[in-house]
Amino acid sequence: MNVQQARIESERCLQCFDAPCTAACPTHIDVTKFIGMIRSGNILGAAEVVKTSNALANTCGSVCPQEIFCQSVCTRAQQDSPIQIRELHRFATQYERERGYSIPKVFPKKVGKVAVIGAGPSGLGCAYELAKFGYDVYVYDSGRPGGVPRNSIPSFRLADDELDLDTKFLSQFFALKRQTIDAKSFKNIVQSHGATFVAIGLGLDRSLGIPGENLKGVVPVLTFLEKAKAKPRSMKIGKKVVIVGGGNVSLDAAATAKRLGAESVILIYRRSEKEMRVWKSELEEARAQGVEIRFLTNPVKVVGKSRVTGIKCRNTRLSKKKDKTGRPIPVEVQGSDFVLEANAVIVAIGQKIKADWLGGIKRTSAGYIKVDDDFQTSLPGVFAGGDVIAGEGTVVQSVAHGKHAAQAIHEFLSAK
Amino acid sequence: MEFRSFKEIEVYPTRDLSYDFLGIHFENPFILAAAPSTDNVDMVRRAFDMGWAGAILKTTSVEGTRVDLCYPMMSTFDHEGKKLFGMGNIDLISEHHIDKVEYNVRMLKKEFPEKMVAASIMAGRKEDWQSLVQRLEEAGADLIECSFSCPQGNIGEDPGKMLAQSVSATELTARWVKEATKKIPVSIKITPHVTDIVEVAKAVKRSGCDALTASNSIQALMGIDIRTFSPYPSLGGRSTYSGMTGPAIKPITLRTIAEIARNVDIPILGTGGASTWGDSVEFMSVGAGVVQFCTVVMHYGFRVIDDLKSGMSHYLQEMKFSSPVEIIGRALPNIVTHDDLPRRTIRSHIDEELCIACDLCVVACRDGGHMAIDQRPSRIPSVDHERCVGCGLCQHVCPVDGCISMQVVP
Ligand SMILES: Cc1cc2nc3c(=O)[nH]c(=O)nc-3n(C[C@H](O)[C@H](O)[C@H](O)COP(=O)(O)OP(=O)(O)OC[C@H]3O[C@@H](n4cnc5c(N)ncnc54)[C@H](O)[C@@H]3O)c2cc1C
Ligand SMILES: Cc1cc2nc3c(=O)[nH]c(=O)nc-3n(C[C@H](O)[C@H](O)[C@H](O)COP(=O)(O)O)c2cc1C
Ligand code: SF4
Repeated sequence: MNVQQARIESERCLQCFDAPCTAACPTHIDVTKFIGMIRSGNILGAAEVVKTSNALANTCGSVCPQEIFCQSVCTRAQQDSPIQIRELHRFATQYERERGYSIPKVFPKKVGKVAVIGAGPSGLGCAYELAKFGYDVYVYDSGRPGGVPRNSIPSFRLADDELDLDTKFLSQFFALKRQTIDAKSFKNIVQSHGATFVAIGLGLDRSLGIPGENLKGVVPVLTFLEKAKAKPRSMKIGKKVVIVGGGNVSLDAAATAKRLGAESVILIYRRSEKEMRVWKSELEEARAQGVEIRFLTNPVKVVGKSRVTGIKCRNTRLSKKKDKTGRPIPVEVQGSDFVLEANAVIVAIGQKIKADWLGGIKRTSAGYIKVDDDFQTSLPGVFAGGDVIAGEGTVVQSVAHGKHAAQAIHEFLSAK
Repeated sequence: MEFRSFKEIEVYPTRDLSYDFLGIHFENPFILAAAPSTDNVDMVRRAFDMGWAGAILKTTSVEGTRVDLCYPMMSTFDHEGKKLFGMGNIDLISEHHIDKVEYNVRMLKKEFPEKMVAASIMAGRKEDWQSLVQRLEEAGADLIECSFSCPQGNIGEDPGKMLAQSVSATELTARWVKEATKKIPVSIKITPHVTDIVEVAKAVKRSGCDALTASNSIQALMGIDIRTFSPYPSLGGRSTYSGMTGPAIKPITLRTIAEIARNVDIPILGTGGASTWGDSVEFMSVGAGVVQFCTVVMHYGFRVIDDLKSGMSHYLQEMKFSSPVEIIGRALPNIVTHDDLPRRTIRSHIDEELCIACDLCVVACRDGGHMAIDQRPSRIPSVDHERCVGCGLCQHVCPVDGCISMQVVP
């Protein structure tokens, strides 16, 4: 968007009072306020509003699925079409990038020490908020800050420098420590800080549990995306790629495989399009790249000698019974087996927690960390948020977890 | 997962926008005009908490002054999809008489000593004007604004006219008011509906009053229902003239303020059509010391103060001004008479890269200019510099920022 386009779009905003968009944004960016500022020409002010509420403002400007958040509830949609809120958000942060940054104020004096484990969206969101309260915050991560957006979200959707803008901005508020936490260091951290926030995300790909899965050329999706992002040049991908999965991550993998030069990319999914938990924009992007999607298809066996040569699949149909997620359960259709040729199979059927040092902390039935309404885990003084408590989510939700947890941590420490 | 309510912690420092004007300290240049938003003390409290620097409480008068309101009183001048481009009202002064307003001033000054609390008054007889001022000054008002632009506030020589439409009545009445004050400044709120605003301003100056509030609503007939022939706002089919306020009247106010500032040395409180921080800069650049807001608040609420303050702060930073005071009067030297304007040869230029081929400039110039823009098969129009006189119409009908520019021919 250029200045004029942004102004025209901002002028369409009704400036609703107590607006639904603000409530729908997990970080509660004051949407009407920042759009009103774009309208008056105070674009730097608009960027400040966005950055005040959302620690990863630049990142979210690129990758936030607005269709499920702010924009989905825009009042204006009842008259014609919703305001392009994320585009305006992005416009404001981009403008600030060109015009120079506002200098944040100095937060109050230090009032205590808090540790944050994991510098992904959730950890960063929490650390930012804790710093505003005046805490001395130590953020531990085994790698560079940014989490999944840094390591896995493909660079054609999120340019590295966008994320850098956020992490650079945030780095002034707390101390970043490059360290891989294990059982011992975890114990030490918990003991030496007033409170600890665990935001380690997931990180471990689920496996299919079918024969042939350990053949060469079968790759877990995170491994694939991380490598494709870190070393795109040395990355080799076969001509025929099959991806198993039905979420956004599988679409990212498919689009990435295409970009890396795969001739055919087939995504197989065991239910129908209706049940796919994906954002429309991602699905469109993948299709535009020429990705073929086969619905109602289940993998039964990876074939090949030492390297994968194909994947044996079976058709499914949807039964009347629903699973926990409310979607119909797919049933295999006997005698419908067929083999798809493949030089590579990417497994993208979800992730689980990687850490093996969370021993004493209670889990949910799905295996995530269990927390109460205040994001507190079963260990007193240990809080958690982001994907590690809720499974695969979104950047903005993870930031919001961190932000709300920070408030709970502040209350916890103040009550001590 | 439902989140509990969240109170955002400010990340950016609030810049100091304070300065002194009329011997009063203003936290920022933005105050509320005498209107419904200042008629209720709870509303003013809320506005103060949100950051408004001051308020002029809605005009009051002596006990016994009849305030005979009619409803509905509001109407709107919508323009091409924009609501309240102009807003009309047939409101009168406050229904609260002096006792209540005096009490409100006291309460507000006690709770918000750092805010500018002013009262607006209107009366007929000398003793009424004077008792109003004295009581309000006693109650702690920082400033008195006298509404000389209420149609009912006339002293009798010209029934139906506003006080500020008579130079002699303005001077006389203003003098009464000033005489009755001890220390606090008095501002006279005038109307732009006069033949010569400068004469009125000079009369105020001669009276010894401290400032002018320029100006007020513009008398207007807000519209007619073309099927029932009922004017707006319709009260059972009938209506009367309204006072029009809001964005539509901004250029009129700018001219009024500028004309006073160019000719009379007197502080000015600007009101009439300001909605944004940018409008405020404009008001101040032609001579206003502070800016009053009414319609934008009635439309969007007190919350607009956030952008007013933030926008002004960024503007000052960009311009390297240390205080809003530096804006006051900056544009005045650039306002000259028609005779003093430079005579140059100007031609229109269309940036073909930016042009979106709507051809609006073609039709505007063809039927309203000098038939100097030619259509082309590509739809990208071309200006004939022989026929173009450089009037600038095409530039203003062009929907694309920066596409058409007026260039000087050396
Ligand atoms: C491929 C992909 C694409 C996505 N696309 C989008 C999108 O477009 N939009 C969107 O909103 N969301 C998207 N998401 C989801 C989003 O990225 C996640 O919901 C979000 O990153 C979760 O944040 P988090 O902070 O909980 O965890 P993470 O982002 O996983 O961050 C966890 C951090 O903890 C660190 N860590 C883990 N273990 C340790 C340890 N033992 N010691 C030290 N540090 C440790 C990791 O290094 C990492 O930096 C996508 C996810 C994936 C996988
Ligand atoms: C409903 C309404 C009531 C008003 N009442 C008064 C009043 O009692 N006294 C007064 O001096 N001005 C009154 N005004 C005029 C405002 O103070 C202000 O000067 C005018 O609205 C122009 O400013 P704006 O364009 O920001 O609204 C009133 C305006 C409106 C809209
Ligand atoms: S604005 Fe409020 S007071 Fe006026 S008519 Fe509507 S509800 Fe009634």
